[in-house]
Amino acid sequence: MTDIKRLTLGFAAFALVATQGLGAATATGSLSATVTVSATAKLTLSSATVTFPSADPDLSPSIAAAEGPVTITAKGKTSTGASISLTLLAGNDLLSGSGSIPISNVTWTASGAGFAAGTMSKTAAQTVASWTNSGNRTGTQTFALANSWIYAAGSYTTTAQYTLTAP
Amino acid sequence: MHLMTLPRLHRAVLALAACALGLVFAPEAAAQPTLRLTITPATITFAPADPDTTPSIAAPSVTVSYRVRSNATGSWRISLLASGDLTAGTATIPITNVTWTASPTPPFQAGTLSGTLAQTLASGSGNVQNTTTGTVVFRLANSWTYNVGSYSTAVVFTLTAP
Repeated sequence: MTDIKRLTLGFAAFALVATQGLGAATATGSLSATVTVSATAKLTLSSATVTFPSADPDLSPSIAAAEGPVTITAKGKTSTGASISLTLLAGNDLLSGSGSIPISNVTWTASGAGFAAGTMSKTAAQTVASWTNSGNRTGTQTFALANSWIYAAGSYTTTAQYTLTAP
Repeated sequence: MHLMTLPRLHRAVLALAACALGLVFAPEAAAQPTLRLTITPATITFAPADPDTTPSIAAPSVTVSYRVRSNATGSWRISLLASGDLTAGTATIPITNVTWTASPTPPFQAGTLSGTLAQTLASGSGNVQNTTTGTVVFRLANSWTYNVGSYSTAVVFTLTAP
């Protein structure tokens, strides 16, 4: 009787293993997916012109730009850990014929993550905003001109260039 | 009397075992599904694009060819599992930013890639005697937040029955 039990148990175990081994079939295929992200920069300004209206220096020692804040949207893609920067460089002082107003008399305040206040320069690009890694930032820049009785009458103009760099 | 019975019992058990083996193995062997799965092409590339104008980048379509035989009463399923996020060195793009649409529906269905859980691409039941094809278009959600790099990952298609 002992032999019969061994034989029966052996059969039961073998049947279980065999059933599991034959239960499913699979076939596989593979696909490789790639994407290349290149350095890119994109800059949008809400206004291309800033105007400082005439004002009494005693009453308005600082003249705010008539257009109000300039809204800046800066977007860039860069390498991991690298910095993206937005700078502003004036082409010259404010000029009116032979008269001039130093461009350093123009300052700005800023709002928005990554944006900073500053003073305009015609010799060294000034940082308007900066951040690390790819991404987009939106902020404002509000310009003001230091008013003075020493400015000769005239219609002064200059240009300034924004540069967004995503290395 | 006992000496004569024991061999008979052995023979009886052996006969029973042989019969049972036949019952267990013969239908299973006959029902073992025969599957075929082919993916073309083997590589897809998401072309660089401005996220503002192209918020979703479509890759060239992928053709899935499959056949299911000896599966008259069973179900079948084609699933997708990514090996992980899209990576370029230490930079990553979450694999969940890759979705797909597929046709015909059914048996194909749309979905989102995962690196941890196989996602169903197509499913059905019974046999698919002739090689049948479906088309899958993968799309990458574009973003300004992706850092510069050449990213890649692998996606495994698995056809299972039942």
